[in-house]
Amino acid sequence: MLSISHIIKNFENVNALKNVSLNIQNGEFFGLIGPNGAGKSTLMNIIVGFLEADSGKVSIDGEVISSKNIQLRKKIGYVPQEISLYLELSAYQNLRLFGEFYNLTSKKLEEKIDSVLELVQLTDRRKDAVKDFSGGMKRRLNLAASLLHDPEIVLCDEPTVGVDPQSRNAIFEMLSELNKSGKTIVYTTHYMEEAERLCSRLAIIDNGDVIAQGTLIELINLLNQRDTIKIQKTSATLNKLPLLREMGQVTEHDFYYEIIPEDGYGQNSKIFSKLEENGIPNAFVQLSRATLEDVFLNMTGRSLRD
Amino acid sequence: MKTVLLLVLKDIRRFLNDRRGVLLTFVLPLILIIIFGNIFSGGNETRGKSSLILVNESNSIVAKLFESKLDSSKSLRSVKFYTSENGKDQIKFDEETAKEWVRTGKISAAVIMPKDFFEDTSKALKFRFYYDPKNEIESYVIQGGIQQTIFTSISKIIPILLQRRITARLGIDSSSLFLNSIGNIMGKYFGEKPENYLKNLTKVDSASLFSTSKDSSKENNFMSGVVNFDSEQLVGKRITNPGLTRSVGGWSMMFLLFSLTGAASSIFEEKRDGTLKRLLCMPITRTQILWGKYIYTIMLGMIQLLVLFVFSWALFNVDIFSNFGNLIIVIFSSAAAAVAFGMLITSFAKTYSQANSIATLLILVMSSIGGSWFPTSILPSWMQVLSKGTLTYWSVEAFLQVLWRQASFAGIALNVCILLSIAILINSYAIIRFNRGNI
Ligand SMILES: Nc1ncnc2c1ncn2[C@@H]1O[C@H](COP(=O)(O)OP(=O)(O)OP(=O)(O)O)[C@@H](O)[C@H]1O
Ligand SMILES: [Mg+2]
Repeated sequence: MLSISHIIKNFENVNALKNVSLNIQNGEFFGLIGPNGAGKSTLMNIIVGFLEADSGKVSIDGEVISSKNIQLRKKIGYVPQEISLYLELSAYQNLRLFGEFYNLTSKKLEEKIDSVLELVQLTDRRKDAVKDFSGGMKRRLNLAASLLHDPEIVLCDEPTVGVDPQSRNAIFEMLSELNKSGKTIVYTTHYMEEAERLCSRLAIIDNGDVIAQGTLIELINLLNQRDTIKIQKTSATLNKLPLLREMGQVTEHDFYYEIIPEDGYGQNSKIFSKLEENGIPNAFVQLSRATLEDVFLNMTGRSLRD
Repeated sequence: MKTVLLLVLKDIRRFLNDRRGVLLTFVLPLILIIIFGNIFSGGNETRGKSSLILVNESNSIVAKLFESKLDSSKSLRSVKFYTSENGKDQIKFDEETAKEWVRTGKISAAVIMPKDFFEDTSKALKFRFYYDPKNEIESYVIQGGIQQTIFTSISKIIPILLQRRITARLGIDSSSLFLNSIGNIMGKYFGEKPENYLKNLTKVDSASLFSTSKDSSKENNFMSGVVNFDSEQLVGKRITNPGLTRSVGGWSMMFLLFSLTGAASSIFEEKRDGTLKRLLCMPITRTQILWGKYIYTIMLGMIQLLVLFVFSWALFNVDIFSNFGNLIIVIFSSAAAAVAFGMLITSFAKTYSQANSIATLLILVMSSIGGSWFPTSILPSWMQVLSKGTLTYWSVEAFLQVLWRQASFAGIALNVCILLSIAILINSYAIIRFNRGNI
């Protein structure tokens, strides 16, 4: 278990982390979401031992991380938010160079290099200098470089920034794959969709505080506002107001009705079929699901990407 | 230990991949050494001499003496003719043309010996010297060369000028009485015929003027010995390329400071590129990172210096092998001190470019007052005190001791001590700062 307890970190004029505590179970895919400047990277840096917390401690399976216990760092693979590679060296040289610090035999390391290159689909570019890579390729190599030593915990700090949708999917699949093979993954992002898709558990962090944590459903259930259904005003829907009122609370807008269904999350399909039965085709109906975005908006009064 | 070694290897690999770095570290200094080598090894050839126009309008035998002395000068080349505009004729310079040439910058100086340079009645030698001090060193060389020529010939002319002055002052009768008395007294005390002295004082003939001290008679020697200039070179006699031998240490030290400060501050680059962070998140301590950087930088510096010295040896005969052990000691301590300097800058600066500009400024100042560019002895005395505060000074002096004076270890011990102390002090400080996470 990765246990983060009561971490406080202040920079000169910023309280970057105000008493953050999180417990991440082995094998979990844990998401850390928050807007710019929330303190996500600072927390990551403290977990890997690059920064020292003002107070509080981080431990892995009971062993406390400190600058003296550098062997513990072998359990962690850290993918920094910035590209952290020797740009003038080739992909292979970078991996070789970083890998060598983990005391692998040369043969083992070579195998590992081959397999991570395969994993991030850069095998055919292994000899090229990293400075000639595209942004997405650098990102992928940045990720690969953190996996050479088979870490138990992989910390990914926004690994998909600037990556095209295809490569992004590849990264997602790769991380899911790693997670399935038993690795704990901690993943920071401010893309809610990514977090919803990947993470089994999430923490929302804002201004150095963890403001909520739990599974996606637990978080959404914190909302009193749930999924909404919008129905376009047409001749077909004009007289159906009583029916809609049966389904839930209706607000009338210029061009559509908005319904917040009574039964809550998970009942939407019933509503769809009932509407269809009553002569309102699905083409006029739109479901907007409550998202993490809504959770965040609801809890902070701000949208994530201001 | 293995980690440190890996860190060193990492930096070497990165260095070899960085073409600009290799160029600045080895190729540029080499090119400069080659240029300086060529300047300094031209000593005995004509192109190494400074030219001046010599116009001799006098028929006097004394003028001939000067002309021949100037012709055989080691540092000056006298030009007497120029090619006419149609390119066919060689025309002898006259005073006006010579002045024109100096004025228009075609030549740096002209010496005129006018018609009345030395006549039968002259009581003084008349020169006219025109020069253009556009190039300080060249004017020194030319004026020095002319003075030397006058100096070495003067002893033969002085008695004659003296005699003429006496005659002019006392009148013919009294003066011949005076000179006769001197002749008698000299004869009485030095046992020669009085006539010989008199003859010597009055006559200007080619035999006595052009005679060398060997074949001249005793009475000639009596006056010509007035200026007795014995010089003996005590240091660097057997050194094949004195100019470069003296300057190679200074220049190398400057290049060393540049490349090593660059290498030391590459820690900033690693910080900027995030690779420092990656390393620090691996099983590597900050101290190991600093040591790796330190060992790599010293190695790089030693290799750079060795390459420069070996090239100076191979191309320009600078003797590096007869005192090789001490040379290595000086190379090591210079490199260590230079790295320390780089580390100090690195630990104070906030960014890579800030480190670089501070370093460039300091290196240029240290190189100029510390003796990299010219000997500190030409500096004003208060600056010479300052120069002892630069590490360049101690290292350049040590190189001079080793290469130029062929000193034993005792001769460089103080310098080595100072350089190593600088290295140790500054580095301990840098390590403390780095471990606190201030870098
Ligand atoms: N080295 C530092 N010195 C001073 N302040 C810092 C430093 N690092 C981070 N901060 C501040 O701490 C706060 C949290 O920064 P952090 O990088 O952890 O945010 P983040 O959640 O990772 O944001 P982003 O999504 O933009 O990466 C910010 O206000 C930031 O300005
Ligand atoms: Mg961040």
